[in-house]
Amino acid sequence: MSEQQVQDRLQEQSTLERRPTSEELKERKARTRRRVPRTGEILTLSMGPQHPSTHGVYRAELDLDGELVVAVRPEIGNLHRGVEKLCEHRTYHQIIPLTDRLDYISSFAMNHAFCEAAEKLMGVEVPPRGRYIRTIAHELSRIANHIMWLGVHVMDLGTQTFFCICFRDREYVLDLFEMLCGARLTHSYSRIGGVAKDLPDGFDYHCRKVIDFIPKRVAEYERIIKHNRIYYKRTKNVGIFTAEDCYAWRVTGPTLRAAGVPRDLRKDEPYAAYDEVEFEVAVEYNADVYDRFLVRMKEIRESCKIIRQCLDNLPDGPFLAPDAGHALPLKKNVLRDPAAMIQDFYQVFHGPQVPKGEVYRAIEVPKGEMGVYIRSEGGPKPARVRFSTPSFYHGQAVPALVEGEMLADVVAIFASVDIVLGDCDR
Amino acid sequence: MGIGDWRSLYRQVGSQEEDEVLGGPVILPGGIALPVQIERVLGFGRSFSFWPLLFGLACCAIEMMALGGPRFDMARFGMEAMRASPRQADGMIVAGWCTTKMAPRVIRLYEQIPDPKWVLAMGSCAISGNIWDTYNVVQGIDSLIPVDVYVPGCPPRPEALWQGLEMIRERIKKSRHAYDGLRRIPAREILAQEMCEQEMREQLTRQIRGERKGNA
Amino acid sequence: MPSFSPDEQAAGGGLARDQAHWLASVRKELIWMDNSELPVSLMRAAVRLRRRFGGRLLEGRVFRGELSYVVAPADWLRVLAFCRDARELAFDQLDCLLGDHVPERTEAPFQVVVHLTSHTYGHRLRVKTFLAEGQPLPSVTGLWPSAGFDEREAWEMYGIVFEGHPDLRRLLLPDDFEGFPMRKDFPLQGIIGGRVRTRLTGKI
Repeated sequence: MSEQQVQDRLQEQSTLERRPTSEELKERKARTRRRVPRTGEILTLSMGPQHPSTHGVYRAELDLDGELVVAVRPEIGNLHRGVEKLCEHRTYHQIIPLTDRLDYISSFAMNHAFCEAAEKLMGVEVPPRGRYIRTIAHELSRIANHIMWLGVHVMDLGTQTFFCICFRDREYVLDLFEMLCGARLTHSYSRIGGVAKDLPDGFDYHCRKVIDFIPKRVAEYERIIKHNRIYYKRTKNVGIFTAEDCYAWRVTGPTLRAAGVPRDLRKDEPYAAYDEVEFEVAVEYNADVYDRFLVRMKEIRESCKIIRQCLDNLPDGPFLAPDAGHALPLKKNVLRDPAAMIQDFYQVFHGPQVPKGEVYRAIEVPKGEMGVYIRSEGGPKPARVRFSTPSFYHGQAVPALVEGEMLADVVAIFASVDIVLGDCDR
Repeated sequence: MGIGDWRSLYRQVGSQEEDEVLGGPVILPGGIALPVQIERVLGFGRSFSFWPLLFGLACCAIEMMALGGPRFDMARFGMEAMRASPRQADGMIVAGWCTTKMAPRVIRLYEQIPDPKWVLAMGSCAISGNIWDTYNVVQGIDSLIPVDVYVPGCPPRPEALWQGLEMIRERIKKSRHAYDGLRRIPAREILAQEMCEQEMREQLTRQIRGERKGNA
Repeated sequence: MPSFSPDEQAAGGGLARDQAHWLASVRKELIWMDNSELPVSLMRAAVRLRRRFGGRLLEGRVFRGELSYVVAPADWLRVLAFCRDARELAFDQLDCLLGDHVPERTEAPFQVVVHLTSHTYGHRLRVKTFLAEGQPLPSVTGLWPSAGFDEREAWEMYGIVFEGHPDLRRLLLPDDFEGFPMRKDFPLQGIIGGRVRTRLTGKI
């Protein structure tokens, strides 16, 4: 068969299998279980905490019956810092750099999540320019996250070159972040009430160049991977996780959308500038690893669209709320204006004025749904902060995902749900 | 704290006159030391293919991977082969904070790496625990394993990590390690001494309290 | 798992006269801490909860557009099962279960807070309960398996026991850790001082 015929057949297959029902998905999952060679004896294999699948220090004990994974006992906590306890000893402004290091691949998204929750608690309204800049930065971090996910996922499946290709493209996005806030990885760019700094000169030009370039790269990735026989065979009908499973195990994000559920908090509970831009929610229906790849590629393209719309419609005005009780003042005013100096002094040495109460705010970070719960007793430091991060629940869902699959597929499935241990262990 | 004070630690691992006795050229069984010239040649060769253990813990690991990426490219210096197994590695780049749960595994991995080995503590978390002054984070991996080079930053840029690796390569060329030729790890001895001291202190405290109770 | 057709959802709308009366009484009973409003589906869910449980919902509060109820530990499982299974509520996702320590409330210093989301209606609910030291709470892993890790973490951080949990043991901390770190009386730096916080023994 020629290459063209192979591609046509693949295309045909994917169109035919467009929307399988729940029973079909369960049948496909059961088919693996029946086909796999078994020995009848259980072998316990300890995977991690140091292993080449570079997701961090996740340890799983797999019980294997031949090739079939019978049981998985995950062990997390190798990266537990006690961020939540540390947050009780820091003011709201001081917590923002701590949130950076939760999901360090998409740090701005974490900053944004915490700031949204804190602003909800304090009743701060972010000015339009601040909301648009936050949207731009959040979508850039989504692009960076998904490109890195792709590189690492495909490296787990065996290639090395593609990892280098993805990191080359990710460097352009990190250059943009460096232009924006000075840091490549741990941004701390969001502030309560907006962002830390305005967009620098030339950012518009460079950002447009990058977001014109990225969709072409995504087309290249799809050309290399999507119709690659090895990738297709290794990921099609592997790791099927239906919508009901996702609800039960609180698995959200691309995994949920690959199972056919069009749930995206950017559309369902809009924040920042997401209700003012047009984009589509990436949904696929086969609920396997291949579809999670397709969903993420589509999300990169939609992110580029969102950024372009934000840059086109960027409003003028302040990027940080001029809210003396809750937000920091603009740096340039601090040494000139006595009111700003007092505000700076108060915010840095004491902290914001926060009402008593509790909030929970969930936003769509690149890995899924991240919720921040803050309980305040009225002081400048929160009484309880809980980050309910997507990787924590995805790490918990790994047994449900992987049991009944082959050992050779464990790495592919584990990579597809995108777990980062800093996010998981906090 | 410890034997004398903390300065004695780096006096052991850096100075010229101590080189012959501690952290110097390899001493073969029987007490025969390799001639310095051969050691220099071997060191020169080793420095061009230092294969670190793939041991990224946290955010710094991402910058380490960026160093392996095409822009910063450590492959041109022979380091892109990051080994998954410690037995095949030449050293460790500890990138990220080490928790008390992970600490025994870090030590075991370090001990499994065959000699000669070098350790680079990447990022503030590995040097001193950074902002994570909490109940579960080891405040610096040099409490656990001897460290040759410290690269500060949060996270250090790939260029900064590269500078640290250049310093490691300089040490490799001179065959200078952070542990001594007799495989004593100075940091662990200091720690053992500290723990002994703490137990002694507790015992003394208990004794004093017992005496006071007796008096009262 | 309930999944409602658009017809069923529409049939749930349009308040009958007695429902309007219930709605008014629920609105009067809730504590409105600021002038935020709740979505219609959530008000309907609140009415349904009130009709079912009445006085067992000890306190209902609205703050920043969020509804939170306090229940007694004895009613915990019943209320949460109703939240998942009832038609107007349909809370099919457990977003978060967390423990908390409020030492000022001496008779019941611990609390367990649960956040629920409905994919059908898109509304959210918070349910809390207050516990005394050592008082156990039934586990909700039978309703939502995602609570497994959450409850393990609440156990090891606060010491709250969940009855019926399939695997209640340490999650994030090392095996030889002593104490419950997230309690307010546990020091941030940990109990064992010095540069290394614990003895480095134990299995790998």
